[in-house]
Amino acid sequence: MGFFDDKQDWLRGVFAQYPDTPQGRRAALMPMLRRVQQDEGWISPERQEEIAQILGTTATEVAGVMSFYSYYQALPTGKYHLQVCATLSCAIGGADELWDELVQELGILRGDVTPDGLFSIQKVECLGSCHTAPVVQVNDEPYVECVTKARLHALLQGLREGKRLEEIVLPGKVGHEVHVRGEEVGV
Amino acid sequence: MDRMVRVTVNDRTVEVPGGTSVMDAIFHAGYDVPLFCAEKHLSPIGACRMCLVKTGSPRKGPDGQFILENGQPKIFWMPKLSAACITAVSDGMVIDTLSDEVKHAQSGMVELTLFNHPLDCPTCDKGGACELQDRSYEYGLVEKFYQPDPMELPLYTRFEMTRRHVDKHHTLSPFIVLDRERCIHCKRCVRYFEEIPGDEVLDFIERGVHTFINSEDDGLPSNFTGNIVDICPVGALLDQTARFRARNWEYDSTETTSMDDACGAAITVDARSGLLERIRAAERREVNEVWISDAARFGHQWVNENRVCTPLVRRDGKLVEATWDEALKAIRQGLDGVAPADVGVYLAGNSTLEEGLAALELTAALGTAHRDFQGRTAYPTTGFAPASFEELLDAEFVLVLGEPTEEAPTLHLRLSEYIRGLKPAAKLNHGTPFADLNIKERMPRLNHKLALFSAYPTPTARWAGASAVHAPGAEAALLAALLGEAEAPAGLGEPLAWVKARLAASQRVVLVLGAGVLNQPEAAIKARQLAERSGARVMCMTPAANARGLEALGLFPGKGGAGWTEAGPRAVYYAYLPTEAQLKAAAFRILHLTHRHPLAEKYADVVLPNQTAYEKRGHTLNLEGRVLPLEPAGINNGEADGAVAALGLLAEALGVKTPVRLVRQATRLLVEKHKLPAALERWLPKSTGWTATEADATTGTLYLRPTMWRREQRVGAVARVVEIKLEMSPATARSQGLADGYLVELALPEGVERLEVKTVAGLPDGVMYVPALGAWAGRRVEAKILVGGEA
Repeated sequence: MGFFDDKQDWLRGVFAQYPDTPQGRRAALMPMLRRVQQDEGWISPERQEEIAQILGTTATEVAGVMSFYSYYQALPTGKYHLQVCATLSCAIGGADELWDELVQELGILRGDVTPDGLFSIQKVECLGSCHTAPVVQVNDEPYVECVTKARLHALLQGLREGKRLEEIVLPGKVGHEVHVRGEEVGV
Repeated sequence: MDRMVRVTVNDRTVEVPGGTSVMDAIFHAGYDVPLFCAEKHLSPIGACRMCLVKTGSPRKGPDGQFILENGQPKIFWMPKLSAACITAVSDGMVIDTLSDEVKHAQSGMVELTLFNHPLDCPTCDKGGACELQDRSYEYGLVEKFYQPDPMELPLYTRFEMTRRHVDKHHTLSPFIVLDRERCIHCKRCVRYFEEIPGDEVLDFIERGVHTFINSEDDGLPSNFTGNIVDICPVGALLDQTARFRARNWEYDSTETTSMDDACGAAITVDARSGLLERIRAAERREVNEVWISDAARFGHQWVNENRVCTPLVRRDGKLVEATWDEALKAIRQGLDGVAPADVGVYLAGNSTLEEGLAALELTAALGTAHRDFQGRTAYPTTGFAPASFEELLDAEFVLVLGEPTEEAPTLHLRLSEYIRGLKPAAKLNHGTPFADLNIKERMPRLNHKLALFSAYPTPTARWAGASAVHAPGAEAALLAALLGEAEAPAGLGEPLAWVKARLAASQRVVLVLGAGVLNQPEAAIKARQLAERSGARVMCMTPAANARGLEALGLFPGKGGAGWTEAGPRAVYYAYLPTEAQLKAAAFRILHLTHRHPLAEKYADVVLPNQTAYEKRGHTLNLEGRVLPLEPAGINNGEADGAVAALGLLAEALGVKTPVRLVRQATRLLVEKHKLPAALERWLPKSTGWTATEADATTGTLYLRPTMWRREQRVGAVARVVEIKLEMSPATARSQGLADGYLVELALPEGVERLEVKTVAGLPDGVMYVPALGAWAGRRVEAKILVGGEA
């Protein structure tokens, strides 16, 4: 059964927001991708094909749009999808070391999900928070900033305990100067 | 035409139409600017930033007068360099392409483009014909990189850098291989697929430095994939059929005309050491612009294999190699006692006008009515006033009855241009603009300008305001409804009413007729009535490439003569492979073939070696009636010769004299006697057609669906792409006791074939489809399933 089969009303609502032309119809691609991502945690090739069918375009087009945005996942994700910014500021701020730490700690690589189904990890392009580098984003929650190894472990611990992101207390103050190796200065 | 504007490029002032891009103004003025992403007939997008130039314009003050400096309008330079391909010219604009600032920026862009480029030119098939290579030599060096002394180490070398490494040999389809390391992200191929054929099968995946080209659709499902190989500015997209066959400078290149369909696209045939290795598109603005179909490009591997290189004569029941003289002797012997009026001459559908004339002169001298060409349709195409592609672009409404993507692929591409509302490209000093600002990405398709009805689903239908798939043979009823003579067939009422209203409201109408209509006299007569009533011009997608030309000369059976599908004359000359029944019926058979074939081994008395269309010199007419030249490519074909020579031999054996013995003689005769105009002009002689008879109407439940591929092309990579299946709707399959995957033996005009059954939802019930792969396209025959059963 298709994902959108029982969401025809929702689809009609989406299409109503755009002009009734082939181009207008294609505009519904983004909301449809977002809906699948929200509900299923990733967008499988079957879903991509289904969206292409509905919009009258090709799966290649859908994949092209989807892969442009790091929000849309082409691989299954865990309950908490950790996105590590790896662009310039964060890279200088120690994003690579942070990534290594994550891989070590969780024992997974990009595309894997931890056996408990909790975590998956991904390097992403600039999240736009260079002044608080390095930055990690969990799902589409607010950023976890100035992430040191200590703060990272506290974050993972908190998530494992089932806390919500804002309940987790991280060591150190947000906005601290951060050492190039990813440790806060003076800690 | 837009208002002309004056622009100054460096030191030259030129006039160009308003709306021209700065890039084309520069080329028009005779200067050069480097480019990677701009391409003729594609939208300019400014992706590669290679064409950076300095532009400035005069400005008017608040008083409405030009701001002056030293008595001249002051030039206000743009603060930064602009990409020439996406900047439009303005009146009085000054363009600078030679200053140090521009040179430095351009060399910087070459550096950036080469940053991740693998520099594996020695093993790259594009080497020697690579735009990046050329531009690197021209623009990649500024003073600081120059080597002070050839003996010293260079100051700077790109080989020291680490590069990004990605997938190097990614097979996109059996025809095309992609090297992602070489890709420079110009987006030409992605834009091409969306804009030209309209099949969006390729796209950029990921972004930034990770961007790569990929397709989710298996094997690039489009009939026009090969053109991306031509337009790729680097060696990222390569032709698999020609991969590693030769370096570009080793090819013996010949520009000629494709005889794969009736459009007459220009192609460049690349041969090396006497073997045909590669075919590329050539530019012919009037016809194919710069695009060709996959059949015209990749369907060439058959040419080199298994050729007949010398005449073969039958001795002791076996065909043995002989000389032309021995063949003459054998023909003379075989024709001994045969009345001249009992000799039949049958040409191939891709014969040249010269060959057509030779056949006509010979049959006239013999007094025989048995003459024809393969693939002649039941109704004459010369009965319709042909439209040119220019008239097609200018039309208000186009009604298609057929499948352009299969029957005349170039026409599909021109319809794509028409449906986007584009006019023929401007012609500047350098030819077609490289950056035509009239063309945009994702242009809206003007669906109200097109209607399409076909007997099988076709991609062109996605642009049509009204379209339907009808049962083969329903064309006559459909046209009768459009003429108001009958009620619309069931289910077609609404689209036909729309078409009727559009026809009534439109001044300039073009009718496109497929083989399905032309092979059904009743439908063709109605189409002619419709064309006359609406003042429409007509494009006939004939199965034979030169049908219009051969018909215009008068090469069709005379009174009582046998047509190309019928048996009749005692002695026959066939320049193609006829059916077994036809061969059986004749007493003496001369086959003029390019390749050996079991039927020839069994029946032929003499086999003469023929040239393929790539090896011929002469002229052809395309569906517009345009005269197109054919030039022989350097392909080793032994002693092969065309029909002019073979018919000369036949004339000698029969002891008759004809005025045509050489191709050049025939050309002269065509020009002098038949007033054949120069190449690319249109030749529309007043000619008589034949009258279609009852016998021409084909009936049956098996429809031979037109295809762009021909039977002989099915070797090598083509065999992996072209699948021949017996297709029908699920309901039809059930009623026949068949199902998906069953293997059946099917009697086809060209022999018995073992095929797999495939059910396709949405096909009309009660009919079966099989790809025609050649001259029998658009005809219907009785479905004779000899053996059926589960696989």
